[in-house]
Amino acid sequence: MSAAREPVLDVRNLRVRIGEADVVDGVDLSIAPGETLALVGESGCGKSLTALALIGLLPEAARRIDGEIRLSGERIDALPERVMNRIRGGRIGMIFQEPVASLDPLMSVGGQIAEALALEGPITPREARERAIAMLDHVGITKPELRVDQYPFELSGGMCQRVMIAMAMIRRPLLLVADEPTTALDVTIQAQILRLMADLRAETGAAVLLITHDMGVVAETAERIAVMYAGRVVETGRVADVFAAPRHPYTALLMRTIPRLEGARKVALPAIAGSVPDVASWPVGCRFAPRCPLATDRCRAEAPPLAPVGAPSQRAACWHTDRVSEIAA
Amino acid sequence: MTTPDRGAAPLVLVEDLEVHFPVRKGLFGRTTDVVKAVDGVSFALERGRTLALVGESGSGKSTTGYAVMGMERPTGGRVVIDGVDRATMSEAQVREATRRMQIVFQDPASALDPRMRVGDCIAEPLRIHGIGTRASRRERVAELLELVGLPPGAATRLPREFSGGQRQRVVIARALALEPEVIVCDEAVSALDVSIQSQILNLLLALQERLSLAYLFISHDLSVVRHIADDVCVMQHGRIVEAGPVDTVFVAPAHAYTRALIEAVPRLERATRAP
Repeated sequence: MSAAREPVLDVRNLRVRIGEADVVDGVDLSIAPGETLALVGESGCGKSLTALALIGLLPEAARRIDGEIRLSGERIDALPERVMNRIRGGRIGMIFQEPVASLDPLMSVGGQIAEALALEGPITPREARERAIAMLDHVGITKPELRVDQYPFELSGGMCQRVMIAMAMIRRPLLLVADEPTTALDVTIQAQILRLMADLRAETGAAVLLITHDMGVVAETAERIAVMYAGRVVETGRVADVFAAPRHPYTALLMRTIPRLEGARKVALPAIAGSVPDVASWPVGCRFAPRCPLATDRCRAEAPPLAPVGAPSQRAACWHTDRVSEIAA
Repeated sequence: MTTPDRGAAPLVLVEDLEVHFPVRKGLFGRTTDVVKAVDGVSFALERGRTLALVGESGSGKSTTGYAVMGMERPTGGRVVIDGVDRATMSEAQVREATRRMQIVFQDPASALDPRMRVGDCIAEPLRIHGIGTRASRRERVAELLELVGLPPGAATRLPREFSGGQRQRVVIARALALEPEVIVCDEAVSALDVSIQSQILNLLLALQERLSLAYLFISHDLSVVRHIADDVCVMQHGRIVEAGPVDTVFVAPAHAYTRALIEAVPRLERATRAP
C-alpha cells in the first residue's frame, strides 16, 4: 500500500469486551481503496464482532472499550447514533450471511431499496422505483420490473443476496462490509455472487472487508488477509504471500488441514489437535500455544507481537516464525 | 442376521427410488401438484465402502438418505437391505435393519438430549434394544468413548460441557453402540469449523478401517466428498446425473452439471495468480 493512497478503513487497537473478557483484543486493520481484505478465522475468533464494532452495530452484551476507527481519514468511532445511521447504508454498505433473514419480510424488494435511497435525501416514489429497477437489473436479477414489487419469500436465497447487494451498493459506498455473504448459498450460486461482488467493486472502486471462514473464497476474491485466532490477528499480508509461505503455525496448519480437489484421498488429514478455547479459558501468552506443535515455555508465558516477517507485506504473531516452514511442508 | 447368501447382495441396494410429495391447495386439499424430491435413483453400497451423494439444496440427496434409513416412505422403487426389500420386512427384520444402520446429522447439538449425561446418551440404543446389563453397558460406553477419541471421564458430563466437534464425536459413539454396518452421514461435518472438520473426517476414516463400516455420505462439499468417498453420485433435481468412482468423476466429469459444480468450488491454488 503506497503512502499516497489514504486507506478507506483504518482501525487501530480495536478492543471489544463481553463481560470480563476482551473478545476482540487489540485488532489493527487497514484497507486501501478498491482493495478486498479477508478477515478469516473459526467460530468465536472475534471476526464478526470486529466487523460489527466497525459499523457500530455491536450486540447489547458487547462494548467497544478501545480503538480508533477512521473512514477515509475521518474518525467515526465517537459519532452519535444518528450520524452513524446515515453512514451505514451510505458510505458503508453491508451484507450478511442470511439474505432472507436480513431483508424485511413485510416490505417489497423495491420498497426496501427505496428506503436505502431515502437516507440520501428526498426522492420521489417514481424516481426511487426507477432507480431500484435499474439497480436490480445491474445486479443480475431478471425481469426487474416484476421483481421490484415482490416480497423476499418469493425469491430464492441467491436472488435475496443479489437484492441485499443492490441495497448495499446503490449509494456507491466507500466500504462494503460483507459478513459470510455466500456461506448459506449453494456452490454454483456462491460463484455467481462472488463474481458479482468483484464486478461491482471494480466498477465503484469500493474497499471490501470480507469476513469468511473459507480459505477458498479468500483465494478467489481477496488481495490481503488477516487471520484471527481467539480475539487477535495472528497473521496478515498479501493473500498470495501468506498462502505461499504462511509464517504463523495456525495459518500453516489451517492451510494443510483443508481437504482439496487435488492431492491425496482417503488418508488422514494433518489435523490441528484440540479445539478453539472458550473465551473464559483463553491462555496467557500466545493463545494458540496449547494446540501448537512448536510451542515452548516462552509462548506459554509471553504473547508475541504481530511483527514483520517473510514477504514485505507479511506480519505474524509468533516467537518461532523461522520454524513454521517445518509445519507447512 | 446370518443368511446363507450373506455377502453376495450389496449391503444397501436402491432401485428406481421415487419419493414424491403431493402439494395440496385449496379448501378441499386437492392435490394440485407433485414435488418429485427423488425421481428414479439407483445405486448400490457395498460393505466397507463409502458412497457419496453430492448435490445442491433441493437435489434430493437427504431425502434419498432418509428413504434408505426407512425414515421416508418411497412412492416408487425399492430399498433393499442385504437382500431384503424394506417394503416386505417383518417387524423383526425392521428392528434388525434399524440396528445395522445408523444416521449422523449435521447439528450435533440438536441430536443430543441436553439433560442426559453423555454416557447415558451413548448407552441409550443398547437399553432400547435390551442389550447387556448395566455393568456391561457401562463397559461398552467406555470402549466407545475411547474409539471416538474422548476421555473416559466424558461419560458423566453433559453435552453442553463439550465443543461442537466433541459433541459430534459423542453422536458418532452413540451411532456405533449397536455395531452397525452402515452409517448414513447427512452433512455430518458441514457445520464444523475447518480445524474440527478434519479431525472428524480422520475419525470417520479410521473407524471405517477398523470396523469395516460402509458410509452413505451425503454432502454439498465436493472437496470433502472427494477426500472421503470411493464412489460418488452427483444429484440434481431428484435424479443422479452422473455416477462412478471418485477418481473418474472428479478427474474427467462427463456431465455438464458435474463440471459446473467442480468449476464453482473456490480453489486455494488460485491465490497464487498475480494481483
